[in-house]
Amino acid sequence: MTSMPRIRANRYSVMTLEWPKDSGPLDSWLRLQCDKAPALMQEIAIVLKPAMEHTASEISEAVDLLDQLGIGLIGLTGDPQHRTVADELGLAWLSSNNVTVDPDTPEAVSARSPVPDETRNSALVIEGPVRSGVQIYAKDRDLVIIGQVSEGAEIMADGHVHVYGRLRGRVAAGVSGQADAEIFCLTFEPELVSLAGMYCGSDQIPEELWSARVRVGLDGTAQKLTFALMG
Amino acid sequence: MATVVTVTSGKGGVGKTTSSAALAAGLAKAGHRTVVIDFDVGLRNLDLIMGVERRVVFDFVNVISGEATLNQALIQDKRMENLSILAASQTKDKDALSEEGVGQVLDQLADMGFEYIVCDSPAGIERGATMALHFADHAVIVTNPEVSSVRDSDRILGILQSKSKRAKEGGKVQEHLLITRYDPVRVDQGEMLSKEDVCDILAVKLIGVIPESKAVLKASNTGVPVILDEDSDAGKAYSDAVARFLGDDRPLRFVTAKKQGLLSRILGGGD
Repeated sequence: MTSMPRIRANRYSVMTLEWPKDSGPLDSWLRLQCDKAPALMQEIAIVLKPAMEHTASEISEAVDLLDQLGIGLIGLTGDPQHRTVADELGLAWLSSNNVTVDPDTPEAVSARSPVPDETRNSALVIEGPVRSGVQIYAKDRDLVIIGQVSEGAEIMADGHVHVYGRLRGRVAAGVSGQADAEIFCLTFEPELVSLAGMYCGSDQIPEELWSARVRVGLDGTAQKLTFALMG
Repeated sequence: MATVVTVTSGKGGVGKTTSSAALAAGLAKAGHRTVVIDFDVGLRNLDLIMGVERRVVFDFVNVISGEATLNQALIQDKRMENLSILAASQTKDKDALSEEGVGQVLDQLADMGFEYIVCDSPAGIERGATMALHFADHAVIVTNPEVSSVRDSDRILGILQSKSKRAKEGGKVQEHLLITRYDPVRVDQGEMLSKEDVCDILAVKLIGVIPESKAVLKASNTGVPVILDEDSDAGKAYSDAVARFLGDDRPLRFVTAKKQGLLSRILGGGD
């Protein structure tokens, strides 16, 4: 089977660097950020949003600065008058989301029509067993393990974690702080359970849940783990 | 095509070398041309267990570094003509094992017509062990019925399925579990994990349970692979394990405690 090229709508997470006119020098502030979190600053994709009052040459200097610091600038956004600056600098122009559209124009119709949700990441499915010493992290998605997770293994996801088997290792869901993440498990014997930063060891797990089919979530305050038996 | 069988465990002292010697001798006895290689460079033992320690002139590292040919280094077993031994170096360390060098030696052995290449892995998860399992087609995981040994075996299984050549090429190394030093009496008393517990934790197909036996120490000291001691319980259990490895279906023996009579309990008889 040959696969054809195609164009699909996708959403990516991009940072916006907001740059008000009255802020201090961008140079020293950016260098400070790079020192604080060098890896983050090198990895993220950034869109620069200058204030309306910034001149074309100021924006051009800022773009050079970002380039020097190795920050991945992908385009400009903000006031439509800067669109020409983006064109001149060879950068993409991203229109802001909160553009008001006249309800009768065709754009508005297409904006309201249901579009397939392409932001959903499919779950990472791993066929077990996950052995001691193995670490699995499902970034920005759910994790499904088919089979057992041994003692000494670590499974983590930004989303939910499902284990269709015996869970003996360490498990963490919502590791980037997603308080709605949950853990589902057929045979629950974990070393450690963690949800959005709240955690408990196996000695704190109620005895009646041991080896049972268990669902772990956070309570309304996101300060306490809640355990429930699944039918 | 030669089949590479790595005998490994993670933890030391569980019976890898004893099992390697038994497996190699068993395969040879079943009519397969077999070579057994000691990967424990710096701490060689296999030559002792095989009873060839006085015949080691050149070793595995000599062959890898080009100081000797494979023919010079291979020691033919005096009991079975289709069994050969490649000893480890005692003076070098495990850094001498290069992936390229090990690969070349294994290829050469295959070209020489060996059907099975048994690799006796050192303990640990460092270079010697990873080299021994890198080229594995099959892995025999040797475990004692005891929690730390089982956990280390689990760890080595993880490494096997992520770092071996087969795994990297998208395949799978075939795993076999061999439980050694099994004492059914202590299992019944709850002092030892049962074979069911071990299988449950590791989720690997069991090919044999070797009972704790005096015959093993005796065999090691006399340089005869215990599988050749056909009257001993351990020897019989290893024969069964080799037969299962080759695809035979045999019931497990020596896994239930013998019922001792009152008299033998008083006199402390039985073995």
